[in-house]
Order: sequence, then C-alpha cells, then structure tokens
Amino acid sequence: MLAKGVKRKHGEMEDGQLAAPAAAPAPAAPSDSLFNISVLKLHQSLRHVEPNLRYLVLVANTLRRLQDHAPAETQGPVPPGRPPAGPEPPAGPGAASPDRRDARCPAPEDELLLSGWDASLCASLSGGLEGAETPGGTPGPPAPPQDDAPPDVPRPPHPFFAPLELLGSTGSLLEDSLEGIFEDIDTSMYDCDVWSPASLAGFKAFSGADEEGQDGGRLDMDDLDYLMDVLVGTHAL
Amino acid sequence: MFLKFSLRSVFYGAGGGNDIQWCFSQVKGAVDDDVAEGAVLSGKLPEILLVSVPPSLPPPFLPLWVLIQMKIHKRISALRKMKCFPCQFSNTIKSAQLNTSALMSVSFFDQADIISTVEFNHSGELLATGDKGGRVVIFQQEQENKTQSHSRGEYNVYSTFQSHEPEFDYLKSLEIEEKINKIRWLPQKNAAQFLLSTNDKTIKLWKISERDKRPEGYNLKEEDGRYRDPTTVTTLRVPVFRPMDLMVEASPRRIFANAHTYHINSISINSDYETYLSADDLRINLWHLEITDRSFNIVDIKPANMEELTEVITAAEFHPNSCNTFVYSSSKGTIRLCDMRASALCDRHSKLFEEPEDPSNRSFFSEIISSISDVKFSHSGRYMMTRDYLSVKIWDLNMENRPVETYQVHEYLRSKLCSLYENDCIFDKFECCWNGSDSIVMTGSYNNFFRMFDRNTKRDITLEASRENNKPRTVLKPRKVCASGKRKKDEISVDSLDFNKKILHTAWHPKENIIAVATTNNLYIFQDKMN
Repeated sequence: MLAKGVKRKHGEMEDGQLAAPAAAPAPAAPSDSLFNISVLKLHQSLRHVEPNLRYLVLVANTLRRLQDHAPAETQGPVPPGRPPAGPEPPAGPGAASPDRRDARCPAPEDELLLSGWDASLCASLSGGLEGAETPGGTPGPPAPPQDDAPPDVPRPPHPFFAPLELLGSTGSLLEDSLEGIFEDIDTSMYDCDVWSPASLAGFKAFSGADEEGQDGGRLDMDDLDYLMDVLVGTHAL
Repeated sequence: MFLKFSLRSVFYGAGGGNDIQWCFSQVKGAVDDDVAEGAVLSGKLPEILLVSVPPSLPPPFLPLWVLIQMKIHKRISALRKMKCFPCQFSNTIKSAQLNTSALMSVSFFDQADIISTVEFNHSGELLATGDKGGRVVIFQQEQENKTQSHSRGEYNVYSTFQSHEPEFDYLKSLEIEEKINKIRWLPQKNAAQFLLSTNDKTIKLWKISERDKRPEGYNLKEEDGRYRDPTTVTTLRVPVFRPMDLMVEASPRRIFANAHTYHINSISINSDYETYLSADDLRINLWHLEITDRSFNIVDIKPANMEELTEVITAAEFHPNSCNTFVYSSSKGTIRLCDMRASALCDRHSKLFEEPEDPSNRSFFSEIISSISDVKFSHSGRYMMTRDYLSVKIWDLNMENRPVETYQVHEYLRSKLCSLYENDCIFDKFECCWNGSDSIVMTGSYNNFFRMFDRNTKRDITLEASRENNKPRTVLKPRKVCASGKRKKDEISVDSLDFNKKILHTAWHPKENIIAVATTNNLYIFQDKMN
C-alpha cells in the first residue's frame, strides 16, 4: 500500500506522478516540511492586524493534524529510566493504555495520512507497543525530549488564536500575547529564533525585513522610503 | 475602464458534450492579453508603516501618530489611484524563485481591475460586476435587434460608480479593503434599479435611475444655472421637460455599517424583499432594508475563548421562497439550515447537511478541501448546491446525510494538493451557479477553464475563457485535461495548467442561455448558438 522504506523527497512531488500506488492520495512531502510551511503560513497570517480568519483556521487545523501525528511517529513509548516530562504519567506496565497506544501509533486508517513516512517504522512501533507492556522494548528511535503534553492527555485549547481575542477590542497584536502562540509548538527541531517573542517585540517595525528574497518585501521598503521623503519634503510636522 | 468588443452573429461549429453549443459573444477588460495576478505585488497597505496602537486615546484631539498615519494613508491612496504599476506593461514572467514556477505565471497589472463579483439582475437585462478597486460596473443588454434576430442583444456599459472607498481604521491601524465582495440585486419595483453591494465591513444600497428629460425654461435661472436678476424678468413662462441624452445616476440610499467585526463574505436578500442577511466569518446579521442603525444577530458561532476557534462561516443564503429559512456553510464542510421562527438566535440548526468523509481519500488536507466556498439554492427551492475545492454537490433539502449528486470539477488536482497548499491555491474560493431551469450547474476552475454539468444527461463540459482561442462568432471548443500518461492531441497536461488564471466568479442569465464568466480582470460573455 505504501512505499516501504522510501522517504519521498519534497521535490519529487512536482512531477505529478504518484510514486506510491493510488491508495495514497496526498503526495508525500515529509511531514516536517509541511509543518514548517504551515507554521510559516500561520505566522504570516497572524502578522496582519485583521487576519483572514478562514485561512487562519484552516491552516491551524492542518497544523494540529500534523502535530497530532508527528509525536506518534517520532516518539516511541517512554523508556522506564526517563523521568516523565510535564504532566505525562510515569511509564510503567499500566502506562500502555489503549488510549495511549491509539494516540502513539495511528490506527490503520490513519496510515494513509502518514503516506510520506516509513510504514515499516510505524509497524514496528505498533509491534513494540503490543509486545511491551513493559516499556523496555523500544523499537523506535530514541524519543527526543518531549516538552509538550502527550497526545492522549487532553490538550489545552491551542493558543494559536490568543492574539485574536484582542481583535474585538483594540485589534492590535500586543507583545505579551505572542508568547501564547508558541507554547504548544515543539520548537526544538527548528531554529525559530526569529519568531521568539523578544525579537518579535520590534516586529511590527521590521516585518518587511523578514521576508527574504521576496519582491514584496523590497517593494514595501521602497514605498516607505519614497513616502517618507514625500512626507518630510512636503509637510513639516 | 472597460473596452468592449462588438460581436454579432454566430456560426455552426463542433459542439461539446452538452446539447447547448456555447459561442463566444463579448469580452470586456484590458486590451492586453489576459494577464495573471502578480504574486509578488500586493495592493494592500504595507503594514510596516502602521504604528502600533496604544489602546486608550484621549478623546478630543488627534495625537501625532494618528496624523502621521492619516497622511501616509492619503498618500498611498493617491499613489494607488495613479496606477503606479503600469498596466500597459503586461509582461509575463516565469518566476524562477517560486518552487511552483511551472504552475504559476507572474506579471504586472493594475490590481484594482480584478473582478471580485458578477451578478445578473432578476430579469437578466442588467449585469453587474464589482472589482477590487471598489467600483461597480453595470452592463445593460441591448434591446433585441429585429434585423438580426439570430443573436441576442449584447451587453454595453450602462453605469459605473465607485461603491466603496478604502477606509482606514485609525484605532486598529488597519486599512479596510474597498474590494466588493458581493453584489445582490433587488427585484425591480419601479423605474429605478436597486442593488446591495458590500465590502469587508459595510453594505450599501444603491439606487440606479435613468434621467432622460430635464426641465428647461425657468424664470429665475438661466440655462447654465446662474440666477437671473429678478428685476429683469418681464414675462413668466412655465418650465417644461425636454428630452436629453440618457444619463444613468447611481446614488447610495442606505449605508449599513458597523455591524460586523469580521469580514463579510455573503449577503442575501430575503424573499419578503424587506429584509436581508449579511454573514461574516463568525456571525450572521439580519437587516431591514429601511433601517440602517440596527440589525439583529441571528447566528453567532464565535467561541467564548477565541483559542478554541476551529470553524468559520463561509457562505449564507436565504431560501428563495420561504422567508424564514436560510442556510450557512462552514469551513468544515457542513451546511446548516435554520428556521428563524424557531428562536431569535438560530445557533441551533434545524438541519445539518454533512457527507461523511471518504476514508480512502483522507489526507492532511481533507478539511481544507472540504471547506465550502459557495452555497446556492436552486430556483425551485428544492435543492441547494455547494462548492468545495474539488467538487460540486447537489443536496436535496429533505436529505441531510449525503448529497444527491456530486460532480468532480478537477479531480486531477487531488494528487497536487501539497503544492496547492504551498502556493495557497488550495484556499481559493470558487463560486457556482444554476441555470434558469435548474438543469445545469456551472463553476470555475484553473487555467481559465470553467465547467458545466448537465444534471439530466449527466454530461459535463470544460470550456475556456480566452481571447486567443476565441475569434468572434466562434463556438467554444471543449477542453480536456490529461491527468497522467499519454497526452492526446489538444489535451492539456495538469502540469501545464496556469494556477494564476482562475475563474472564481460566474453567473448565468436567469432566463436565457447567456453566461458571464470572470477571469482575473476580464469579463467574458458567452451565449448559446441560435439557429
């Protein structure tokens, strides 16, 4: 059903040919690339004072889907020696509850969602969970430190839209609310320094400079220079 | 702004899958080749100019930062009106930087000319278009020419007016776009025509009236309007009406403002012709056409905590016959039918239309492509049609669990969803429309293609709106997209489709087989071949 052991590269999508048989409808970009793109889109959208709400909601929901499946693939069951992170219950014989297993390893129908991922890895994960009520048998790769709550713990409402709360009143993106955006996102894999709240404090004034290689950014700066010249030249304030 | 081509008779040619043979009639728009939207250019106010706003303002005077913003805004408005991006310079550049360079073309043109809505009036005699620059252009069909009985009258410009101006909300530091999102005609009650036009925040009722006579022979006024000295008046006369050149005037009669926090996406006039609804992303309001300072909120899906927001309203429409019934669609692919008699706030639906997801088609993009971009009742009121990204569905109002008919618009895009997500095309909102007898439905696609589905014969056809292929009086040749494998002659491969050329807005004459199809900044009118 899925191409076993073959991680399709992003560029291969452009061919329009399905490397995998027709059962996998979504051409596989690796999910972290999709994740990156989605995070970028979300941030770009949130930069607007009044973001396009439909766009924002759809991107955020897609991000949630990606996030829900990412931990299941990259993190196996917690080894016993590791202290649990955050609210995660301690690993133990009872820890491999059905909920956890379902959350950790996607159900068969979810395998289609992971069309870009290694199906064999998935299979081995589920096998590991099956066989190991004891968490000792960890077939998957070592789990990276998990900062977020595990999927089976009810997640707090996602703070993607914390800034939107203010839309009705002042409508401006106050700096202290920006931190809410990043609470749930595991940024350990990405270099997200540019998005850290501290650097975003001066964000509004320099947002044009963040866009690399985009003509839109350069044009905006040209517009600004021209306009400021006009303002200074024609009208003393 | 619009140039018109004058095209008359049609001749026989190869037909399509339908019984109707569609012929090129007119095209209105820039003379240059149909240019695509510049991906790198944005018509919006660059937001780096906007200074962050402190929430509290001392009321009586304007602080310096507000004055600066006002000056900047005025200057940018003036610049934009000067058309600083030369539209006669129509260059098509394949962008090397974009990953999807094969899919999109980039060029420069005046963004204000992008057509954002198209609507026939109830008789079909008038055709209104709205554009991104806030202008409304109304075309009127010529009276049928007796000498040329084999063609219908063509549409000529009847009236043009600036419906909405760009506004600046100084408190929120944001510009309210003047783009016309929707136009809806009122049924004609007297000599004048009325329409509602809306941008993101404000709805306006416009009266379009003709003046073909003017009074002459005043006693106290000269013909040029100067007042006469009363002492020079020696005789009295009665002013009379004399014919004059037809003048069409548009005047705003009502302005319905300050009722929407979010962006208005739909307006719909009730069958009682006294009320109408306006829908934004989270709320639907009910208005009376005579009352501008009040509206009733009838649907509110805003969560108490905005962080829990997962669904927005995408379209809403009143039932054509039942004045108490309306529907609204959501970004999750559901349609809710509400009865205003049930309660004042119709948050609880009377019916919920939703088709279960096909498990074999699930992907990360399932929700996005299920998001409904348009909902339209049939003229009969028995059915409604919804448009999501890949398909058109016809629902029987009596059956909620699945549509009665589903038509695939461009299924070949399903394997391209990831690219379309990257370049944001997956968020395009296509509209759909019924023909007058509810037997055929039409919707747009990419590469300036549009599709029609005959519900009775189950045949469908793909046509293209393009100046190149359409000489005057030509019958449109059906197009075909080749999804994979060997490409036959005259077929177009998926990879050659231009995703910047999209047909989002189409309209069908209420009585005849005349259709108006809007490409990015051109309006095409096609009609069926008349014998």
